[in-house]
Amino acid sequence: MRAATWTGVNEVSVETVPDPTILNDHDVILKVSRTTTCGSDLHLLGGYIPFMRAGDVLGHEFMGEVVEVGRGVRDRRIGDRVVVNSFIACGKCWYCTQELYSLCDNGNPNPGITEALWGQSPGGCFGYSHAMGGWAGSHAEYIRVPYADVGAFVVPEGVSDERALFASDAVSTGWMGADLAGTKPGDVVAVWGAGGVGQMAARAAMLLGAERVYVIDRLPERLAQVREHVGAEAIDYSRTDVLAELREVTGGRGPDVCIEAVGMEAHSLGVQGAYDQVKQQLRLQTDRPSAVREAILACRKGGSVFVLGVYAQMVDKFPLGALMNKGLTVRGAQVHGQRYMPRILDHMARGELTTEHLATHVMPLEDAARGYRVFKDKADGCVRSVFLPNG
Amino acid sequence: MAVPRILDSLRRAATEAGGALLGRLQHVRLPGVGQSSSADDPETAARRWRAVTVLRSPEQIGTGADLPAPLAALGDRVEVRVTPAPGDRGAELAARYRDLPSDDDLRALRSALREAKQLIEVGEVLRVDPAPHGTRKATPQGAVLEGATARAGGEGVL
Ligand SMILES: NC(=O)c1ccc[n+]([C@@H]2O[C@H](COP(=O)([O-])OP(=O)(O)OC[C@H]3O[C@@H](n4cnc5c(N)ncnc54)[C@H](O)[C@@H]3O)[C@@H](O)[C@H]2O)c1
Ligand SMILES: [Zn+2]
Ligand SMILES: [Zn+2]
Repeated sequence: MRAATWTGVNEVSVETVPDPTILNDHDVILKVSRTTTCGSDLHLLGGYIPFMRAGDVLGHEFMGEVVEVGRGVRDRRIGDRVVVNSFIACGKCWYCTQELYSLCDNGNPNPGITEALWGQSPGGCFGYSHAMGGWAGSHAEYIRVPYADVGAFVVPEGVSDERALFASDAVSTGWMGADLAGTKPGDVVAVWGAGGVGQMAARAAMLLGAERVYVIDRLPERLAQVREHVGAEAIDYSRTDVLAELREVTGGRGPDVCIEAVGMEAHSLGVQGAYDQVKQQLRLQTDRPSAVREAILACRKGGSVFVLGVYAQMVDKFPLGALMNKGLTVRGAQVHGQRYMPRILDHMARGELTTEHLATHVMPLEDAARGYRVFKDKADGCVRSVFLPNG
Repeated sequence: MAVPRILDSLRRAATEAGGALLGRLQHVRLPGVGQSSSADDPETAARRWRAVTVLRSPEQIGTGADLPAPLAALGDRVEVRVTPAPGDRGAELAARYRDLPSDDDLRALRSALREAKQLIEVGEVLRVDPAPHGTRKATPQGAVLEGATARAGGEGVL
């Protein structure tokens, strides 16, 4: 089959690779209909997560049709149209029973790397390096999905492929951030990053009852999407002092909930930006945390900060004093998508959650290298490139 | 002829180094890196109980020959201890060697504990290989990572 692979730092190729086969009883094989780029892939492409091997198949946000089922699969059937969560979870371990699916004990067959890095290993993720399990990704004609009864959700009839695709990762991640940060009716919520994840965190916060939601970015086309498709307010950090603006619109309190959806390649202006870039390049810090810093400083006393952006290891100049003295709750996670996907698909069916606008660039899989280039450069208004491996 | 052979042996060395590197990372003690907080002498470290928590009652884990096959296969060389975990977390399944184990022995024990847990909780051991992939260029970094992943099921802090 054809598949888009990582072939070196910022290099993507489309190659012929072997077809996947069922290896475990709980597997299904999916014929991929849609698969999309995610901001997380940029951290991989750029070599910030150095556990990729040349030839690894990329992609973790996808949907398709079940074409083969393993002996132990109970609920999924051949022909089902399903959207699959990006994290691989068994559904049986203690973490899964607590609905902390991305922490599944049984989803990463290579836990040695992440244990050595972090002390414990989270679960596995499709197409996300050998640290996260070495699972082949979804930018391919077919993909093997382990624990399919747990991670593959049938798409309701009224929901189009175009909309359902993003339930896989962008929406479930955004929803998790808004939910686990404790968003309540009446809250003011601020979201850093207007990519697919940030926009969906903002929409989720609104559906969870937030009274006002602000999204911070600098790319005009993304800020326009925030106003038009999400219905939240947009703040351009390249033109305004974000901390001052947030104080002004919250009566001096600061937002109740601050959600960071930017990640370890955060961009920042002036001295802070230069400092972080140099330290990251010298490997004195592995991650650039400017949005997390700002979220902690902006948050109201006793408020809650959720880190959705992906970080690999260490950061510098972390405002621990503000965190402690303001009594903040800080939490982060990879996506516990299985917990939210049924509810998300319901909201999609009712038209309360729309995602089609994120797919600014839709193309055949053969064009994956170009798709990643525009997505990485944020060129031509690209928010997400979507590939169609089977036409 | 000679050049490919040299490259090949370099690559083998890199693969070996990758595995060894991963084994070493868990004993590093820089602030924020590595997983060791105080210096156990190598023998104490090797003899520690290694444990996984399994979401089952202790009676459902089995003993002796009834233990899940990967653990039972280690036979009398290891002692096994099963105790209830606090709260609703199931059972703590721990094992250690009776004699002084080699690094390979320890890798075998880590893998056995992880596999035993999976067999009990989900009924099978998750496999990732063979996974579809494209051309693997023969680079030293690739070989280091290959070494690290090949061993990753038997490494880690367990
Ligand atoms: N936790 C999870 O499970 C999970 C899942 C998916 C994605 N992610 C992570 O979420 C992050 C966002 O993903 P995405 O797909 O939306 O990525 P993206 O690259 O499309 O969007 C990131 C946005 O952040 C903006 N940005 C950069 N610096 C900023 C700053 N200092 N302040 C405000 N905005 C800034 C960029 O302009 C861009 O629009 C990434 O780090 C990704 O790895 C996490
Ligand atoms: Zn993602
Ligand atoms: Zn699990």
